Amino acid sequence: MALTLEERGELRSAARSLLGRDSSTERVRAAIARTAGFDRALWDQMVELGWTTIHVPGVRGGSGCGYADLGVVLHELGRNITPSPFLASAVLATGALLLADNDRVAAPALAAVTAGEALGAVALASTGGSYDRACLTTSWEGTAVSMRLQGSSGFVLDADVATVLVVAARARDGTVAVLAVEAADPRVRIERVATVDETRRLFTVSFDDVVVGGDALLCEPGAPAEELFERVLAIGVIATACDAAGVAERMLESAAEYAKVRTQFGKPIGSFQAVKHRCADITIAVEAARAATRAATETLDGDLAEWSTTAAVTSSYVGPACAEACAQGLLVHGGIGFTWEHDSHLYLKRAKLDEVLFGTPSWHRRRLADAVFPGRAAS
Amino acid sequence: MWQSSDTSLDIMLEPGGDLEDLRCGVRDWCAAHVPVDWRDRQRGVSHERLVEFMRWWGGCLREAGLLAPHWPREWGGGFTIREQIVIAEELARGDAPRNGLYHVGIFNVAPTLVHSATAEQRARFLPGIWNGEVWCQGYSEPNAGSDLASLQTRAERDGEHYVVNGQKVWTSWAKEADWCMLLARTDVSAPKHKGISCLIVDMRTPGIEVRPIKQAWGPADFNEVFFDDVVVPTEGLIGAENNGWAVAQGTLAAERAVAIIDMTERLRCNGIEAAAAEAVAWRLENGQPALDDDVVRETLAERYAEVRVLRHMLDGMIDDILRGADVGGTSSIIKVFYTELLYKLTKYVTDLQGVAGQLDAPVLACAGWETAFWMNDYIHSFGWIIGGGTNDIQRNVIGDRMLGLPR
Repeated sequence: MALTLEERGELRSAARSLLGRDSSTERVRAAIARTAGFDRALWDQMVELGWTTIHVPGVRGGSGCGYADLGVVLHELGRNITPSPFLASAVLATGALLLADNDRVAAPALAAVTAGEALGAVALASTGGSYDRACLTTSWEGTAVSMRLQGSSGFVLDADVATVLVVAARARDGTVAVLAVEAADPRVRIERVATVDETRRLFTVSFDDVVVGGDALLCEPGAPAEELFERVLAIGVIATACDAAGVAERMLESAAEYAKVRTQFGKPIGSFQAVKHRCADITIAVEAARAATRAATETLDGDLAEWSTTAAVTSSYVGPACAEACAQGLLVHGGIGFTWEHDSHLYLKRAKLDEVLFGTPSWHRRRLADAVFPGRAAS
Repeated sequence: MWQSSDTSLDIMLEPGGDLEDLRCGVRDWCAAHVPVDWRDRQRGVSHERLVEFMRWWGGCLREAGLLAPHWPREWGGGFTIREQIVIAEELARGDAPRNGLYHVGIFNVAPTLVHSATAEQRARFLPGIWNGEVWCQGYSEPNAGSDLASLQTRAERDGEHYVVNGQKVWTSWAKEADWCMLLARTDVSAPKHKGISCLIVDMRTPGIEVRPIKQAWGPADFNEVFFDDVVVPTEGLIGAENNGWAVAQGTLAAERAVAIIDMTERLRCNGIEAAAAEAVAWRLENGQPALDDDVVRETLAERYAEVRVLRHMLDGMIDDILRGADVGGTSSIIKVFYTELLYKLTKYVTDLQGVAGQLDAPVLACAGWETAFWMNDYIHSFGWIIGGGTNDIQRNVIGDRMLGLPR
């Protein structure tokens, strides 16, 4: 059952206070310099607090609240631009395992991941970063007993710390399969791709004739796998939107604060309408993003049929709006906002990555048009 | 003359039932009563015919119990917020004409009366609004627009009367109005917000002159109103003397948010979905149907997503109001978001139509801002950006009240 509003408020304050202390921007800058790329002690606390099981039903060992409550944590992680495998493991991998039909492989993996004993990662994108299933660059062939994986998946979050990889692959005839693959398999190669946003870590995962048994399938190849793919994609879009809303909210606070204390021409710059209106526009974007992500996470807890459209609406608005809010927020800070030392660029870079991590807004808009408008006359 | 499509469905919708039953009830009622050809028949009609149509339509809503769902039960309303939302959604989806002529009375004056007027005043005026009296709002003046509190129209006390002198402008429906809710200065020595009173003025009082102003998009529902020694009985004072600013600000009621839900749903159905349906037939320069073009599809989808986001903001604001939480500047955010979305959509479709979109056509005045005469809808959208506190002023409000930025 979802938390009450009061309980949700408590979750938010608890998260804000923990992350405010342990994921301050000084700590963030220190964490990204480490090999693991995140703060293991902070991760342990997050597991301890039950954040990794918020959306896991009680029967699967979770607290059974839901995505609307998980969204609160994601928003706070965004506010603090926290480097963490939370999105990859607790949200995406857990989400995929929860949706799997195959309990034989999913249940043990899910138990390990939700307990924080193991981390998961999800590889759905092509090496070009496309989430169009027709563009998958990892292929599979074989039978229901033994399958071989070839090729590569791109832009996989936190693959190097994962034990289990959820991988989407495409057979020569176009049949999509979603499988669980052990990251430790010697034929799996995981290579970091450096991103401008250093708070997130992305990898190319290559499969050099990796052999898995038929029980690695999370569901039947074909339509069920395509549906699973779409659902996990929707979770990814909505989760990054929650993150982006948090990032933009924090940027707004920083910009408004700076506009109050920075004086020029003998006045705080926030008294000038050019600056005030810029701050107002950021506020509008943040308020809209908050409303949109709240509604979207509620959809993840509700009607499955609405997931894809909701994800498309969310990507269409929230990503660009939050990235632009961060851009405008950086500008409010003037020259200081353009320095490496100031945090503005960290927020902007994270928001820019959030905007496109699970498909470009433009691609999602075209999908949205296909869902809600008449089709093309030509087709 | 106007007639419902099917008069056999003369029902009175009541609050307190099942929400889905209410939804079906309003849907069926719309199907029976919204004339299928009203848009075609109302295009380009004279002001008099427009007023006549709106009076007829207001009567239909009254008979069905849908004229003022947000009013207290004793005055004809009594629907809960959830019920009001259902009614607004179904009227929009059923393409019901907008009830512009009565909007000021029903949505602005009545809540002020319920909130600030005496029991006698409520008993005197609410039934009148219900039965079709038209109200206007005497707020803006030539020198008091964004800075409304600097208004100069005077109301001088003379025994049991006030004597009003001054000029109002941008007064919607003043020509048709029976009554005016007027803001006038009753104390010239007090600070500007503290010397204003809110008065009910009978528009038939000698000394009032109304001059219509034709607007940029064509119609002339706007007016200038001149007051020359107009005698107003003191019983017309709403709230305390010199407290008119607070009375006019009122409380931001959830009902106003519901009124914007009505407009948001219209923007979705009659705006974006209609644009997409029309774009199937439009041709680009290369002869390709506009809706086959990726950029067209993307852009319309972007607007569609924004309408959905606006709806989420409204739902969130209504939840907050019902919980008694402070919604502060949220209404300013929604005003800016809605109006600029309307502007972006109408501008985009106008641009898409190319020079064909610049052809003149008869104006449809009672359909809101989405009439499918896109160039005119685009011009009309400026009225919303400017009216009700310009978006520049709304951005000041957001900066000052929500962010606490210095003035």
